[in-house]
Amino acid sequence: MEPTPEPSDGTVVRAVLTGDVEQYAVLVRRYKDRYARYASRMLGSVDAAEDAVQDALIRAYERLPQCRDPEKFAGWFFLILRNRCFAERRRDRRSNGLDQVGEMAASEGSHASLERKEQARSLEQALLQLTPEQREVFVLKHVEELSYDEIAARVGTGVAALKMRMHRAYDRLRELLGEPQ
Amino acid sequence: MSQELDLPPALRPEVEAARRHVSLSPEIEARVMAAVRRRAAPPQQRAWRWLTAPSLPPWSLLAAAAAALLAFVIFRPASVGSPGVASPRATAVGPESVYVRFILVAPNAREVALAGTFNGWDPATAPLSRADTAGTWTVTVALPVGQHQYAFIVDGRRWVPDPAAPAVDDGFGRKNSVVSVSAAQGRIL
Amino acid sequence: MNRRVAWVMLAMALGPELAAQGDVTARLAGRVPPPIAAAVSALADSARARGLPVAPLVDKALEGVVKGVPADRILPAVRTVLDQLDAASAALRGAGVTPAGDDAIEAGGFALAAGLTPGDIGAIARSADRSHPTAVALQVAGALAAMGVPRAQTVGLVRGAIQSGRPVGDLVSLPGQVQAAMARGAPPAAAAAGLERAATAHQAPRPHGQGKGEGNPHKP
Repeated sequence: MEPTPEPSDGTVVRAVLTGDVEQYAVLVRRYKDRYARYASRMLGSVDAAEDAVQDALIRAYERLPQCRDPEKFAGWFFLILRNRCFAERRRDRRSNGLDQVGEMAASEGSHASLERKEQARSLEQALLQLTPEQREVFVLKHVEELSYDEIAARVGTGVAALKMRMHRAYDRLRELLGEPQ
Repeated sequence: MSQELDLPPALRPEVEAARRHVSLSPEIEARVMAAVRRRAAPPQQRAWRWLTAPSLPPWSLLAAAAAALLAFVIFRPASVGSPGVASPRATAVGPESVYVRFILVAPNAREVALAGTFNGWDPATAPLSRADTAGTWTVTVALPVGQHQYAFIVDGRRWVPDPAAPAVDDGFGRKNSVVSVSAAQGRIL
Repeated sequence: MNRRVAWVMLAMALGPELAAQGDVTARLAGRVPPPIAAAVSALADSARARGLPVAPLVDKALEGVVKGVPADRILPAVRTVLDQLDAASAALRGAGVTPAGDDAIEAGGFALAAGLTPGDIGAIARSADRSHPTAVALQVAGALAAMGVPRAQTVGLVRGAIQSGRPVGDLVSLPGQVQAAMARGAPPAAAAAGLERAATAHQAPRPHGQGKGEGNPHKP
């Protein structure tokens, strides 16, 4: 038995715009986690990502009439979330044991062996030291695993500029995470 | 010239770990929908039945913008209004809502919104959407029975009363349009 | 969102009329600058004490802010609304409508804003009955006046529709009929006069030889 096909994003957007507000929950469910990883790596914590995604979903509802192509809601929503991430002031990181572990890794170089969780955390901390643009290209390329062409299409920057940012990001990350030059 | 930048090998394990899936709290859906409902017009129901035809005769269109105001008794929910503190002035108990479709012909507009006493004068809650390529914008809103004042906002800054509806001074040097809905007769004032 | 909660909490801590004050404060919170919100709340307290509806005051304040009106013009407009509600309430009391419901007072306030006088409101209220509620009659009157129908004709049309004993739907349809006539080119006064004539002819006994059927030859 065929499952009922899900309505397309465009169908749902149009339904919401003609007054069926409850349909917006479909989009919320679909996109709540889609860019959660991107947001949490950009902002440095899952808590910050939750705030950002929640705000972005509400703002997307407010601006829904301005979504020129309802079928492309995903990309349009991503840009709203992206703006929200770039606007976020860097929060003060709470200092805890893991921070110290991260710093130990930096000073001991790559010989320190860390749990996966701590590994990710130290990278997260280091990423926050990059500029938002450098951080973004790193996250989209290596965490989201997009190609440079795909990144360029999403954020509207040329591939050459993206590669230059990535160079700088690598240099800075090596420095922060203590890799021997 | 190398086309690809390789990830420095030492960073690889970290990046692997960073790729783990992130799932946000399921409460986000409830919080977002609560915020959405506060911004939306008074509650809408899914089962619509179009009961009566509009009772106003069709209008001839004016050159720049014209509007027609049509009221349909669509659905009679048992109760209206969302509980708690809500910005739109919806009564929590009481009479039916009447669905009213607002129409504005504004071919050069980039965006049109509806604001009035029924939605706390919040343009964000009732944006109109294009109904055709001829510049017709519409929105359907559930209005509590009674009398309401409203106006259209074109392109976020130009306040346009409804040319086909009665107008009353807004006390600020402009005019508001008036709509009255009466469920008993399914007609409008 | 946090600000709104803070405002509600503050309101609850301050006074006895928790729910009512909280509702006004909550509707204004985050949307209206605090000095205006405070002044409107004070006016709302005054309105409540006089048995007047509060929502139209909040609506007017929200409207002013959204329309970008300078703060020093918003409060006078809110006070005007309060004055109109007060005058409508007094007119209704004078006409023997006690207690006057919020709907009737608001409709009366709207009718005053549209150009009718307290005397007009009293006259209409006195002719209202069970099948033609005061609030509905005043809403119709206000709409007619807002469309430009002169006062005397407005009152005449509304009272005529009520006193004829016709169903309330006829009363409610008056503005629509006037609008229809205006769309065909008649100025408001003429449109209303046409309706008045039709109403009178409808009540008069039919002369012999009239064609059969329901249609009234005098109706526009």
